[in-house]
Amino acid sequence: MSAGIIVGYDGSACAKEAVRVALEVGQAYGEKVVIAFGYELNPVAGEIHDYHAALKELATQRLTEATALAAGAMSDVEAVIVEQAPAQALVDLADERDARVIVVGTRGESPIRGALLGSTPHKLLHLSDRPVLVVPAPDERHSTP
Amino acid sequence: MESASLAEPVAGIQVEDKGLKKNAITFLSNIVIGVASTAPAYSLAATLGGIAAFVAFGTPAIMIVAFVPMLFIAASYYWMNRADPDCGTTFSWVTRAMGPRLGWMGGWAIIVTDILVMPSLAAIAGQYTFSLFGNSNPSTFDVTLIGVGWIVVMTAICYIGIELSARTQQFLLGAEFVILVIFSIVALVKVYTGDALATSHHVSASWFNPFAIKGFSNFTEAILLAVFIYWGWDSGVTVNEETKDSGSAPGRAAIVSTLVLVGIYVLVAVAATAFGGPALLSNNSSDVFAAMGHGVLGGGLDKLLIIAVLTSASASTQTTILPTARTVLSMARARAIPSRFGEIHPRFLSPSVATLAMGTFSTLWYVVMTLVSTNVLGDSILALGLGISFYYGITGFACTIFYRRQLFNSAKNFFFIGVLPTLGGLILFALFIKSCFDLGKTSSGSTVIFGIGGPLVIGLGALLLGIPFMLLCQWKLPGFFRRKPEVADPALVAASPAGHHS
Repeated sequence: MSAGIIVGYDGSACAKEAVRVALEVGQAYGEKVVIAFGYELNPVAGEIHDYHAALKELATQRLTEATALAAGAMSDVEAVIVEQAPAQALVDLADERDARVIVVGTRGESPIRGALLGSTPHKLLHLSDRPVLVVPAPDERHSTP
Repeated sequence: MESASLAEPVAGIQVEDKGLKKNAITFLSNIVIGVASTAPAYSLAATLGGIAAFVAFGTPAIMIVAFVPMLFIAASYYWMNRADPDCGTTFSWVTRAMGPRLGWMGGWAIIVTDILVMPSLAAIAGQYTFSLFGNSNPSTFDVTLIGVGWIVVMTAICYIGIELSARTQQFLLGAEFVILVIFSIVALVKVYTGDALATSHHVSASWFNPFAIKGFSNFTEAILLAVFIYWGWDSGVTVNEETKDSGSAPGRAAIVSTLVLVGIYVLVAVAATAFGGPALLSNNSSDVFAAMGHGVLGGGLDKLLIIAVLTSASASTQTTILPTARTVLSMARARAIPSRFGEIHPRFLSPSVATLAMGTFSTLWYVVMTLVSTNVLGDSILALGLGISFYYGITGFACTIFYRRQLFNSAKNFFFIGVLPTLGGLILFALFIKSCFDLGKTSSGSTVIFGIGGPLVIGLGALLLGIPFMLLCQWKLPGFFRRKPEVADPALVAASPAGHHS
C-alpha cells in the first residue's frame, strides 16, 4: 500500500503554500503527510562540523515552523531532515516511504534564473519517477477579487 | 560548542542521516580532494618563477625540502581530526588546546591569509585568460578587471552553493595532471634532442641537493614560497574521517596524494628548469607556463596548458572561499566574532554573510594592492608564506599540547603526536622569524612601505591587525574568551580510527 505524501519545505512563501496543498491532498485521500527539509554537505572544503550544526539547526527551525503550519490538520504529520541535496532528498525519501506523490513549491522564476540559482522543482521533475505536484507561490495578481 | 536545540531535537522531527555516509568518499576522490585543494597547475604557475629567482637550479631541491615540515604538520591535522572529527581546523583546535586568544588568532590567520591569496589567484586567472586568447602582454588595468570579475563570479558560485560533483572534479584534476606530465616529458625530450631554447640545460644531480643552494636567505625565502604550493594539502587529511573504509583508506590516501604532489612538483620543476633555464622562469614569474607553453608543446596544445592553469585556479578559488567562509562561520557560532557572520542563506544554504565578506574584502584588497604595487603577485605570495607558516606552526604545537597526557604512553605516540608535530611547528616558526628579517629588507619585494619591505608590512601587518580586532571581540563578546583549554580524551589514542565515529 502506498504510504503518504512527501512535501519539501524551505520556509519560502511557495513552500508554505506547498505544505497547505499537501495537507489538503493528505486529508482528501487519508494519507500521511511527511514534511522534509534536505541539505547537502560538501566535504571538500573541510571545516565541516560547525557548518553541519548550523544547517541542522536551520532545518530543525524550519520544520518546527512547518509543523506549526500543519497544526489542526486532519492528517498525520511527520517532519524529517534528510542529509541530501534537496531534490535528491525528496526523491530518496519518497522511494523509502513508497510515497504516492511529492509536493513542492515553485518560486515561478524564469528558466534561466532557475538554472543559474538551482531550481528544486526543475531537478525534481528530472529525478523523480513518481508523480510530482508543483505548487506556485500565492500571487496577488492572479487571485480573484 | 553545540547549541541547545541540537542536543534536544524538537519533538516529532526525525533526522535521516543518509547524506555523508551514503555518499562516503571513495579512495580515489579522497586523493583527488587532497591534490585538487592544492591546485598543482596554479600553484606552479604562481611560484615557479619566484622560487627560481631565489635558488636558480635548486628549484627541484626546494620542492622536496619544503614538503618535510608540511608532512609533520599533516600528522597534527590527522591527530587533531581524530579528537574532533570534522570539527574544523586551526581555530577550533588551537582554542581547545591553547585557549581562546591563540585560537582566535589562528582563525584570523586563516582568514587573512585566504584573503591575501585571492589577488594572486585573480591575477593569475586574469593573466592566463589573456594568454588563452593570444594576448601575452595585457595592461595591468585589463588583468585587474578580469581578475576582479573572476573573484565576483567565484564568490557568487560559492554563495549560490554550486559545487562540482566528485566526478567533475576527478575529470578536471585528471586533465590537469595529464597536461602537466605531457608538458614535462615533452620539455625534457626536447632538451636532450636539442630542440629546447638556447638557455636550456641538461639535468644535473646538484639540482636535487639542497646544500648546493647558495645563500641561506635565498634558501628560506624559496622554502616559504614552496610551503605555499603545498598549502591546502591538509584538506585531504581532514575529510578522511568520512571515507568509506576509514580504517585503512585515510592513511593510504594521504600517503598517495603526498607522493603524487611531490612527484608532479619535482617533475615540472626539473622540466621547466631544464627547458628554459632559471632566468626564463624568474623573468616570467607571473606567467611561466604561458611563456614556455608554445616552445614546449607548440601551437594549439599550449592552450591546453593555459586551460589547465585556469581550471586549477578556479578549483583553488573554491577551496579558498569555502573553507574561509566556514572558519568565519565556526568563529561566529563559537561567539568569538559577531553572530551575524554565522548566518546561513535561507535558500542556498551557504554561509552567506561570511562568503560575501570574503569576496568583498578580497576584491578591495586586490584593487588596493594593484594601485600600490606593480607586482601584486610576488609581494602578496611572499607575504602569504608568513600567514601560512604561522597557522600551520601553531596547529603543530596545539596537537602536542592537546595530547600531552598520552605522549609517554608509547613510543609511537611520542613520535607521531609529540615529535613530528612539534618539529613541524618549530621549523615553520623558525621559517617565520627568519622570513620576517628577510622580507623586511627594502629589496625583498617590489614595494617599500615606511622604509620596510612591502611583503613584511603586508604579511606581518595582516596578522598583527588581528590583535586590535581580537581585543574588540573580547570586550564585546567576553563569553568565548573565558573558555579554558582542554586535553585529549585518553580513549582517542587507544581507539581505532573508525571506532568513535559512527
